[in-house]
Amino acid sequence: MKENIVVYVNGRKIGLYRGMKVKHALIAYDESLYRASLAGEIRVEDENGFTVGVEGSLADGARILTTPTA
Amino acid sequence: MQIPPNYGRRVLASLTARLLFLILIVWLPAMPMTASGAPARQAEVDITILHVNDTHGHIIPHLDRSVDPERPVGGAEYLARMIEVERTANPKGTILLSAGDMFQGTPVSNLFHGKPVVEIMNYLGFDAMALGNHEFDWGQDVLQSIVSSASFPVVSANVFKSGGVCIRGVKPYVILKKKGVRIAVIGITTPETFYTTKPGNLTGLTFAAPEKVLPAIIRRVRAQGASMVIALTHDGLDADRELARNVRGIDVIVGGHSHTAIKDPVMESGTVIVQAGSNGIYLGVLKIAFDPKKKKILSYTRKDELRVVSSASGAQLDPNVAQIVDNYEAQVRGEFSKVIGTAAADLTRDATGESDLGDLVADAMRAASGSQIAFQNGGGIRADIPKGPITVEEVFTALPFDDDMVSMDLTGEQIKQLLEKSVLSENILQVSGIRVEYDLSKPAGAKVASVAVAGKPMEADATYRVVTNDFLASGGGRFNIFKKGRNVSVGPSLREGLDDYIRRNSPINVRAKNRIVFRN
Repeated sequence: MKENIVVYVNGRKIGLYRGMKVKHALIAYDESLYRASLAGEIRVEDENGFTVGVEGSLADGARILTTPTA
Repeated sequence: MQIPPNYGRRVLASLTARLLFLILIVWLPAMPMTASGAPARQAEVDITILHVNDTHGHIIPHLDRSVDPERPVGGAEYLARMIEVERTANPKGTILLSAGDMFQGTPVSNLFHGKPVVEIMNYLGFDAMALGNHEFDWGQDVLQSIVSSASFPVVSANVFKSGGVCIRGVKPYVILKKKGVRIAVIGITTPETFYTTKPGNLTGLTFAAPEKVLPAIIRRVRAQGASMVIALTHDGLDADRELARNVRGIDVIVGGHSHTAIKDPVMESGTVIVQAGSNGIYLGVLKIAFDPKKKKILSYTRKDELRVVSSASGAQLDPNVAQIVDNYEAQVRGEFSKVIGTAAADLTRDATGESDLGDLVADAMRAASGSQIAFQNGGGIRADIPKGPITVEEVFTALPFDDDMVSMDLTGEQIKQLLEKSVLSENILQVSGIRVEYDLSKPAGAKVASVAVAGKPMEADATYRVVTNDFLASGGGRFNIFKKGRNVSVGPSLREGLDDYIRRNSPINVRAKNRIVFRN
């Protein structure tokens, strides 16, 4: 297994270490987005449209999207 | 007496009709019915699979605004009642599964190394639980203690000790029998556990690729009479999809690890895949009509498989589980007030320069990881520790984030770039194992005047072992150099490292004065 993975947050390519989580992808993308997720202001979804938790795992090539809650 | 024509045939017909009537009276109530009340086909067996995953010690209701903006969600006592309701609806055909990562994550569970969660799972009568990567967070001895205190089977078919044997007390699979149907539940643990766990906690263990071990086990359980095969995995939805594509013969994957709330079950290459989010927020309820003769799923819940565990007013709870939660919650206060060491002087923070508490945290990180150099963001330290006895609660308050340490190799040149970035940051990096002198009269990018590691000048081309936290390692604070490390390893947690360091080195007498020096 490679030590590094690539994921996509709102379409932007992000490099992370393998084993890092959704929260790390958000931090790498934009820290304010991570804080917004903790405050429940945004929802994080995978490419299937399922909600994922910020402590959830990320596979190499995973694509996540953020959407404002209500 | 004249016997009517066809008398014998009529008597026989009448007797046959009465017999049929009697058979129907006796047999009909025992027939399974569909939801509409019509009799189900005899070949169908209704199985209900209840499932949770990644509870991470969340046994107390909590607010998650992305699920419900006003009312708390989760809570083991409410979950217990929901399970009871489902079991009552299908008393002989319900199984209860956990796809792992049940214990680590909240003070009420962490302080007791998962005991409250095990106690609740025992009470609820789980049928099986998969080993998750976070089950290794407290080391193999604690894991052993959890497994031995569990009254339910813990399963993992791809984690081995030397010689290819399973961890003591862990089975590769179990075969359950419900309504005469044999159901195999095979455990899978993510092979990425090596990337998410402190290496010392995995000594002597190997994690095989799931697709390598599963085909042989599926053949074995089928030979043992299993009609239905469930893979109880802790490997994430993407890996579960791949598993379904590559391994034939799995009827259902009950997954975890990616914390995915799969609202409507996924069908991949003939395998139904479900996962119930995280943090005890959902109970997954998968209802299956199964043909045991054809060994085939005839129908399954296709929509709204997840039920939110809600503690909204009016929600029913299980008082016995509430009692277990209350007992441990009451003990948290006592655990938090336990004294772990003493501070000889006030330990204060300063995000703009070197600080006593920053030095202490960085020293603890270096000691816990065995690295040469430690970096901690000043903003990650949220409260001072006053002079006197230091309690568990004060460590939690100073470091409220659930950060893990991340160790990596960086070159001297990369470290210098980090230090250049740090001096321009609002949250200067707190350091250990290093001394940096800044010349503030120089332009940005050239302010580092000198750097020494263990008393010797740092060499630009040399490689140094560096520890930081996972926030910085993912590029937090725009310290992107941390993303260029090599030979990365994770753990232990920052709090655990500080707690341990205070216990070993009290009285703590840190004097911050010469690790970060400014001139001009």
